[in-house]
Amino acid sequence: MMKNNRLKIALTKGRVEQQVLPLLEAAGIDCELVRNKQRRLIFDSTTQPYEFILAKGPDVTTFLERGAADVGIVGSDILVEHQSTQYELLDLGVGECQFVLASTPDFDPQAPQRKIIGTKYPLITKRYFDRLGQDVEIIKIEGSVELAPLTGLADAIVDITETGTTLRENNLQIYDYLQPVSTRLVVNRLALKQQQTAIYDLVDRLAAVVAPKESAK
Amino acid sequence: MLSNLLPQGTRDEFGSRAAIKQQLISVIQAHFKQRGFASIATPLLENQAVFAPYEIGNYQLYQLFDQDGQTLVLRPDMTLPVARFLSATKVPLPQKFSYVGDIFRVGRRLSGAYNQITQAGVELIGYSSIKAELECLTLANRLSAELIDDAVEIELGDAQFAQQVVASLTADATQQAAIKQALFNKQIPQYQALIAAYQDEPLYDFLQRWPRLFGTPATIFAQLATAPLPASVQTGIDRLKAVVAWMQQTMPQQAVSVDLSSEAPQSYYTGLTFRGYSQAGAGYLFSGGRYDQLLANFQAKPEPAVGMGLDVDLLTELAGTTTTTQPQTLIYFDPLQWSQAEAYLARQPQAMLSLAPDLAAARVEADQLGATLIDLTEGADDEK
Repeated sequence: MMKNNRLKIALTKGRVEQQVLPLLEAAGIDCELVRNKQRRLIFDSTTQPYEFILAKGPDVTTFLERGAADVGIVGSDILVEHQSTQYELLDLGVGECQFVLASTPDFDPQAPQRKIIGTKYPLITKRYFDRLGQDVEIIKIEGSVELAPLTGLADAIVDITETGTTLRENNLQIYDYLQPVSTRLVVNRLALKQQQTAIYDLVDRLAAVVAPKESAK
Repeated sequence: MLSNLLPQGTRDEFGSRAAIKQQLISVIQAHFKQRGFASIATPLLENQAVFAPYEIGNYQLYQLFDQDGQTLVLRPDMTLPVARFLSATKVPLPQKFSYVGDIFRVGRRLSGAYNQITQAGVELIGYSSIKAELECLTLANRLSAELIDDAVEIELGDAQFAQQVVASLTADATQQAAIKQALFNKQIPQYQALIAAYQDEPLYDFLQRWPRLFGTPATIFAQLATAPLPASVQTGIDRLKAVVAWMQQTMPQQAVSVDLSSEAPQSYYTGLTFRGYSQAGAGYLFSGGRYDQLLANFQAKPEPAVGMGLDVDLLTELAGTTTTTQPQTLIYFDPLQWSQAEAYLARQPQAMLSLAPDLAAARVEADQLGATLIDLTEGADDEK
């Protein structure tokens, strides 16, 4: 994988993109091209040494691992699940939500049986139940995880929730809280050496706009 | 149909890539030979126990069983097999070994990473003097200058520094390990939460700056000078300063930096560490350092040792386009003209004998190769 000297930033498209663009702009980074993206996925800034790519969260980790991107902006849920080994330099303080164990009201977490758990996050789920000393059957679900206990596919789910609204609307309740989640700025290990000044400049500018919000909480 | 499919994470090498890689290996081996290193080749398969000190990280091992049900692995590392060899054979030390071979680490499925990596390297065993590190650095400097056009930066570190610093903060081994892990992986939000407990310590200011403690030697040494570090780090820092000064004098063109915020390449490292990278590559071109406890895993008596491994596959990618390998001349001849064809072949550096049964087939072959066809039968006919 050959590299050039522009900082290649992989941004998770969708909600993360919407939440992070104002931060990047507040940090003085021109995101006009990304805002007017139409159907394009790669944006080479003409005024600044940045190249943005838009990708799905798990792919952001793959681009980073292979050195195809220098910087990634992605949720900590995905970093943990995909066992990212790259540097995590900043918590951007957006996209904050929480991993929960949830199910229908008749679910008994203490029931002496091998539970079936539906989730998009099998590794995080396994680690959680390992800590509890419980062996569970995990079923990987790609979307609308709430369906799993409602249809009898699983006894409970492990999923992320921001406000709990979707869970409540589907008559599911929270039985336990796992780790919190937020959007992180991640950097390829070697890129930090190759582009130390440019990367820390970006990190420090973003930290300056993230910090006031943190202290206002 | 699986009969013509490759397993995940493997590849065939042919054409120019294979030729460039072979050429690089020849150059590397010539350097090893010229420096008087003894060649060593250990088996691809080893008992899993050989790699007990090896940290596999997010990778996995290729495992299989022998006839007795013992677990064998395809080696993920070249250094531990050499240590195993030395402890089992009692070869007199000191010795300088060199090797070229493949290692195997199973990466994440479908991630685009290759699981078989060609490594070349040296192991200087039984040498306690800093001269062993300096010979490795000399070799790294010369090889990188000869093999790739891109400038290579050599980064120096110390395997003990982080442990010495965290040990001065707390006696709690779990806490020490947690701080080191967050530091080495630059999990900054987690690292900051961990060091918050030491806000009132004189070292707190240093702790905050520690994750960024890499860069030019002058900046790093200046930062170290103002930090209230434990006395235990001084030997390592003095050694780093001495090596930097030696490099600036001996190889003034060589870019050098110091990194005291990163983990040693493996947990068995005990002293100076070094790595090299270029602006273009997506990985370290070489890494190495001192590991004086290496043999302790296999025998009671430890031996001082320094080693270095080069990533031949990454070097091949970066050497990329510099070699043309296609034959430019194809020699068509009658079997009775074999000696004449051999003489022609010896004179022409990029020539190849055509084994085509007739001239028409030889012309097709030359077209495919984009080579000029020399027809030795033509001259022979004229003579008739």
